[in-house]
Amino acid sequence: MDVRDELMEHVPRLRRYARALINNRDLADDLVQDTLERALGRTGMFQQGTDLRAWLFTIMHNVFANQARKASARAVHVAVDDESVHESEFAVPSDQIRSLEMRDLDYALQRLPMEQREVVLLVGLEEMSYADVALALNIPIGTVMSRLSRGRERLRALMAGTQPGARLQVVR
Amino acid sequence: MSDQQTPIGEEELHAYVDGTLSDERRAEVERALEQNPELAARISDYFSLNNMFHERYDRVLNEPVPKRLQAPAPRRWRIAANWPQFAGMAAALVLGVGIGVGTHMGRDVVAPVVGRADTRAVSADGSEVFARQAALAHVVYMPAVDRPADMTADHEQDFVQWLSNRLGTNVHPPMLSKSGFNLSGGRLLPGADGPTAQFMYRGPNGERVTLCISRRQVNSNTTAFKLYQDGPVNVFYWVDGDFGYAVSGGIDRQALLQLSHDVYSQLTGAAPG
Repeated sequence: MDVRDELMEHVPRLRRYARALINNRDLADDLVQDTLERALGRTGMFQQGTDLRAWLFTIMHNVFANQARKASARAVHVAVDDESVHESEFAVPSDQIRSLEMRDLDYALQRLPMEQREVVLLVGLEEMSYADVALALNIPIGTVMSRLSRGRERLRALMAGTQPGARLQVVR
Repeated sequence: MSDQQTPIGEEELHAYVDGTLSDERRAEVERALEQNPELAARISDYFSLNNMFHERYDRVLNEPVPKRLQAPAPRRWRIAANWPQFAGMAAALVLGVGIGVGTHMGRDVVAPVVGRADTRAVSADGSEVFARQAALAHVVYMPAVDRPADMTADHEQDFVQWLSNRLGTNVHPPMLSKSGFNLSGGRLLPGADGPTAQFMYRGPNGERVTLCISRRQVNSNTTAFKLYQDGPVNVFYWVDGDFGYAVSGGIDRQALLQLSHDVYSQLTGAAPG
């Protein structure tokens, strides 16, 4: 089968991931479209027999990261993916998540730093192996693990309605 | 009392949630969770999160795919081979690409002899800038062409369509295959005066030639072929009405000129004269 046709089979999954990542139907589909365009323009770079899905998610990550970089060049942003915020600040009374409304999930995900959101979703929603996530995002597997750990714990805190961001630092 | 062999690390807790632990290790984690309600609650929340992702977003899988994301009705795709990664650099390099207004050159459009008296009348500055940029772009981008010689017909059509839309005209990259050069890619370079289309070709022995086409702000007269040389790179360039053209390559000047003639006659669709 043509890579091009094969690519189309991944569209629903790309959309699902993008929707979770961006939480705005149109913007999410924009991201998918940009990803497809870039992928279609580079099918020659795709190695037959390798994992097309991983390749597509890599491209989507790059497109997304680029857009985020451009957006953040114009805005003050808040860094939380750093060592100064201790896990203990995310502490939540246990087992509170289930009682929450689903729409809070959208909101909580958006409050997650982009790097953590990607990892948490690739693992939890897309069910990628840690190794594949490392490949797709082009980061060491140790970084995958620390982002996953921080991301999940932070998401858990957000879902429980706590405010772990009290000590967030504003960085340029 | 736990008699674990190895303490359970944070990573293993996640691996447990994501189902990637060995059976043996999983059993050990489960034993540890039984003894630590707080940890068990946390892990249970992690499981819940994964389930919630699916409950919340799996519905997208069943939504009808919007038209714009559907399979190639080729016209709809904006495609650029090798397009993005150098865009930023291109912006810096090609900024200010423009072709100066040439003076009237009469009908002498294809003057193969460089440096003839009548070509000197062209206001050299503007178009020479264009030629220099074309040479630069050739050097900068050509090595980055990573999909040599296998641009499929479909693909090529999409790409051409996309470029045409961007340049606001019908652009067809000339076919140079009778001289042994095949189209291997292309990109759009941003410029202050609008985009420049760059097509890359590869010859039988891996020689590389690029064609730059830039839309000019001011319609002006046609010029003869001119040569610009920058180190090992030769550039033939000319202006034809709304467009400026530059053919660059590190190949023999005579061969490059021959290619330029091919390009010219195909682009104008007219016999020189």
